Amino acid sequence: MNILEANHISKSYAEHRALNDVSISIPKQSIFGLLGPNGAGKTTLIRIINQIIMADEGEVLINGEKLNPRHVEIIGYLPEERGLYKKMKVGEQLMYLAQLKGMSKSEAKTKIKKWLDKLSLTEWAGQKVEDLSKGMAQKIQFIATVIHEPQLLILDEPFSGFDPVNANLIKDEILELRDKGATIIFSTHRMESVEQLCEHIAMINKSEKILDGTKKEIKNSFRSDKYKVEYKGDFSGLGAEYELLDTKHLEDGFYEAIIQSKNGHNPNHLLSQLIAKTEVHSFVEVIPSVNDIFISIVEGGNKR
Amino acid sequence: MKQIFLVLKREYTTRVKKKSFLLATILIPLIFPAVIFGIVYLGTNDGDSSKEVYVLDESGYFQDSFSNTGYAYTFLSSSLDEAKEKFQEDDVYGLIHIPEIDLDDASKTRYSDFSFYSKTNPGNQAMKDFEGEIKRKLEAVKLDRSGLDPAVINSLKVSVSLSSFNLSESGEAKESNTDLSSAVGYVFGFLIYMFIFIYGSQIMQSVLDEKTSRIVEVIVSSVRPFQLMMGKVLGVGAVGVTQLLIWIVLMVTLFSVGITALGGSGMEAMSGQMPAGVDMTQNQEMAANIQGMLDTIPVAQIVVSFLFYFLGAYFLYGALYAAIGSAVDSMQDAQQFMLPIMLPIIVGIISLTFVLQDPHSTMAVTLSMIPFTSPIVMMARLPFGVPTWQLLLSMAFLVLGFIGTIWVAGRVYRVGILMYGAKVNWKTIAKWFTMKV
Repeated sequence: MNILEANHISKSYAEHRALNDVSISIPKQSIFGLLGPNGAGKTTLIRIINQIIMADEGEVLINGEKLNPRHVEIIGYLPEERGLYKKMKVGEQLMYLAQLKGMSKSEAKTKIKKWLDKLSLTEWAGQKVEDLSKGMAQKIQFIATVIHEPQLLILDEPFSGFDPVNANLIKDEILELRDKGATIIFSTHRMESVEQLCEHIAMINKSEKILDGTKKEIKNSFRSDKYKVEYKGDFSGLGAEYELLDTKHLEDGFYEAIIQSKNGHNPNHLLSQLIAKTEVHSFVEVIPSVNDIFISIVEGGNKR
Repeated sequence: MKQIFLVLKREYTTRVKKKSFLLATILIPLIFPAVIFGIVYLGTNDGDSSKEVYVLDESGYFQDSFSNTGYAYTFLSSSLDEAKEKFQEDDVYGLIHIPEIDLDDASKTRYSDFSFYSKTNPGNQAMKDFEGEIKRKLEAVKLDRSGLDPAVINSLKVSVSLSSFNLSESGEAKESNTDLSSAVGYVFGFLIYMFIFIYGSQIMQSVLDEKTSRIVEVIVSSVRPFQLMMGKVLGVGAVGVTQLLIWIVLMVTLFSVGITALGGSGMEAMSGQMPAGVDMTQNQEMAANIQGMLDTIPVAQIVVSFLFYFLGAYFLYGALYAAIGSAVDSMQDAQQFMLPIMLPIIVGIISLTFVLQDPHSTMAVTLSMIPFTSPIVMMARLPFGVPTWQLLLSMAFLVLGFIGTIWVAGRVYRVGILMYGAKVNWKTIAKWFTMKV
């Protein structure tokens, strides 16, 4: 079951086409990475899902239902450009934002107390945001995003502006929310920052979706049968089935080599050949990072 | 609707809870009368510190005849040069020099030979005072010499004042009072101007704050931009109305407290201070007069219309202020858009002078129909009596006007609030207006 389906979304601003026929589907309770460089169209897509702007073409379905104003209550959105009312007290601010998301006053009160306790901010509830440290304000911002227990959490560049301690804290909270049933969309241009978190990935470049699928599938499809080997004692002559792409002399007679397999043998075949010739200290398949995949696609696209 | 109300409530409570609101709300009704009283007091009691003036009278007519109590006169009997020297040395306000004059031979008398010396430029009032003194004395002397009976001269003088009446269609004549109508018209027109200016800027500031603090995108993921804008305009407006109501209540209370105090023991004390000839009966007459004057202007119509134009003008301009706030990134950037919006209001205020001179001229009627100026100009015209059809038409235009500006502002606002660092001019705003979102 998909919590969100965006079908053939297109959006243009004056002379600029921000999104061109983009479709994504996001399974329930997954962590979905919406990746792409700055200006690719990620924020436009997210704003469409949040009903801040409207698509020119295409439709968005949430839980199979066409996007409508009631859906704002089940979405939590942390925009890239974010902030809080500086002159407003923390407690009042969270109450206001929770009520805007359709929560009742009493319900919001309980939830605010729970979250402030959890992130040890209770004593700050009566303070104005401008009197808080940046780290504390960030936590408040996060609470404001999740206070209404959204089924779908959309985080646009979530870790930019968060210090590493808070970033980790937020990561843990996000995983906990996912375990409780929430679905999370990460949108970022810093692909390495979310690589280990995401199960599904869609890549957007220049207003178009260029890749989509589970992280595993994508990585598998981008395997190139390359292996990285560390060994002691030089050797030569692997035969025509293998090509030595690169060798590096490390120290004390240790070497590192990248070997390309040409005929799809399994790794054991290569390993057995190596063992016969040298002393193997490490052997690992070279799996491209999401970033590498992105670059190879974009560059491939440029060549086309 | 619930969302608009939540936004409205936040705008309202955060403002009303501010200390500055409390101070302004309580102090202004106290300060305002105090300032007016102060000005009046200073104006009437200027003579307390009577200025010293030297008089060098070579004609001999004026000995001890200067009587204006605002000044202390010292008569000199030296030469002009010595008098000037003495004037330079002493700390006195001025020196009046009256040369020898021959009142019998008009051809030898040059009244422009009188001079006034002072260390700084004398005020208009002082010059008029001195000229008056000299003129009065010379006239008296000449009258005396002519042998005419002063009583005959006085009996020749006639004082005329026109009483003005409004003649209604039924032929009923109602006394009208032009001065009072002008005053009332001006005050109400000006109140609306002030309100637009103060609370319009507050809306703009509020929109700008949300933009610069970057919270606006969080908010518009829960609320439609239009709802946010309307909540803001209504919330700030509610603050203004609250303030206005408190002011009215405070002022009425102060006024009635003041009247009761005067009506009781204060009345006797006051009549004791009054110049001879003004007694209690005259006080009551005065009160009756004021009552009569109030009857000449359509009070109920003015109050109801004031509320209408007050709110209408606020919506009309408030929406535009919101649009400007959404378009810019800082208060400085806002300046370039402020002027064109303020222009109609300024035209309205300036035109008041002419409108009050002739409240039924084509210009006055036209300006009281155009929604951008009608709240100010129509309020100024109302005390003079405005045909009902004109009033209703003007109100209808105003409603269309503010629906129009709210619509336009809403379209600019929804795009503007999400635009950062864009170079904004009228062309970009027009583009946002037409943009599909």
